[in-house]
Amino acid sequence: MNPDFLISIALDGDGRVFRPGETLSGRYWIESSDPQRIKAIEASVLWHTEGKGDEDMAVHEFWRRDADRELPFDPRRPEQFSTTLPNTPLSYDGRIVKLRWCVRVRVLLHRGKDVVGEKGFLLGEVPPAGYASQNGNVARK
Amino acid sequence: MGRAFRYYGKKRGHRRTGSPTLGVGIEAAFSALFLVAGCVVLVSMFIGEVVPRWRVNREFIETGCKVLKKQIEEKQGDDGPEFRPKLNIEYVKIQTPSYYDINETPYNNREDAQAILDRFDLYSPERNNLYPCWYDPANPYTVVLSRGYPRWLWFAFAVPLSFIVIGAGGLIHTLFGWGKSAERRSVLSRNGVERDFLGIRAHGDRRCPFVPEGADMTNSPGTKLKFRLPICGAPAWALFGTLALCVIWNGLVAVFVAIAVGGHLAGKPDWFLTLFIIPFVLIGLGIIVFFLRQLLIAAGIGPTRLEISDHPLHPGEKYRVFLSQSGRLDMNALRVSLTCEESATYRQGTDTRTETREVFHRELFLHTGFVIQGGLPFETDIEFDVPKGAMHSFAAKNNEINWALMVEGDVAGWPNYRRAFTVIVSPIVGDPDR
Repeated sequence: MNPDFLISIALDGDGRVFRPGETLSGRYWIESSDPQRIKAIEASVLWHTEGKGDEDMAVHEFWRRDADRELPFDPRRPEQFSTTLPNTPLSYDGRIVKLRWCVRVRVLLHRGKDVVGEKGFLLGEVPPAGYASQNGNVARK
Repeated sequence: MGRAFRYYGKKRGHRRTGSPTLGVGIEAAFSALFLVAGCVVLVSMFIGEVVPRWRVNREFIETGCKVLKKQIEEKQGDDGPEFRPKLNIEYVKIQTPSYYDINETPYNNREDAQAILDRFDLYSPERNNLYPCWYDPANPYTVVLSRGYPRWLWFAFAVPLSFIVIGAGGLIHTLFGWGKSAERRSVLSRNGVERDFLGIRAHGDRRCPFVPEGADMTNSPGTKLKFRLPICGAPAWALFGTLALCVIWNGLVAVFVAIAVGGHLAGKPDWFLTLFIIPFVLIGLGIIVFFLRQLLIAAGIGPTRLEISDHPLHPGEKYRVFLSQSGRLDMNALRVSLTCEESATYRQGTDTRTETREVFHRELFLHTGFVIQGGLPFETDIEFDVPKGAMHSFAAKNNEINWALMVEGDVAGWPNYRRAFTVIVSPIVGDPDR
């Protein structure tokens, strides 16, 4: 984490579970003592996997603000975002495959460096792996 | 002191360490090396093989020649004697007889070289048998007796061209992602690569991204229920693959076994070779046993048919399945289960490994101690429900969640068998309670 750039992300209805097709909205802002070092800011709503396998990631919605195209460029001003969430993939806490949704804000600095901030949220209410595994009635002949 | 630049990558449990910058650099250097090597070989092939032939075809002047003498030049090469056919010809432009190598490549046996010479008869004034030849107007002492481009030349170009395609493709991929964040690359590739087969497979139904479409499961109607489910992993291909492995492995091992046995019979045993090949022989025997077991299951146990009342499946919904098991079998047990398996693929060095973990297993049907008569398959209906709140099927590049109906048979005197029928579990779109 870079102490020169503090990324804040706030979701409307933070902490609740989002349902497929619902609107996710919120805002982000960056507190910095040296905003001239910022080249661009990218905000994404995305999912990525965690666990044993190599990471898969897909961006559902993406916004980019270039400092030289936005005048005046003020990263401290809260930037609103809003998107309709997809039906799938749902958030999932498996044994070797975990699926996480998040809003990710990446501050791109000059000379190729960047600072990243994330805010996770749940899409859907799938119980953790194994929860639904209790045996039902077995048909016997 | 913290490292500013991680120079190696390693999978540590659930996370990966390493330097993305170095990775991109190595990828770019590797691609550039392929591209340069391909270009160098292509240019040298063009200059060395195509340009001279092009000049022969376009610029050389045709005339007639007399074959005055035929001979085979024999030389001792690195791999034994070499035989080079040679002709002594006289052509119209220059009256001085000149030796001409018919084929610059020497042959390993005299018969092949002689066959080349047999195409030409010595000149006789009575027959005036002249053969067409072409000489270089810039240097009349350069003459050829055949023109055109050999077929091998075009096939040979495939080697440098494949290097160029791999190298250029890698460089374009690297440059495409240069200086872009992972999210931006993902968006750009999503826009451009949605036509890609992987994208289509992974995205499936556009209303439910990353849930496989499962078209294979609904293109075959059932006789009792709506759809007949396809068996996962065609058994015939699996059997063929095992057979191929069996033949290739044991064929190679047999060569070394023959050498070792030959040495023992000749009274000159090579004990190092003998001991070295023992583990390979044991692995070969293991493959044979595995193949025979698979063959027994494929040939001896009749087909398993599974039909389902609807597809794709939705969490909380009830479904009916019709099971039909053919064969002449003395069954200890036959069971049908609904399973869910997570699958994770990861790279460790140059290896790609896939790990699977069953996270849901529910036995739907069990029948024990019965006999299936030939021509009278065992048939039964099973009702089951997909648990409410179950995770949907999911397919991405490295991670998958797969649901299946599993039929397992325990047959007296036969190897146990297990046949999987993949099903897709998909959330109901537009129902907020699911």
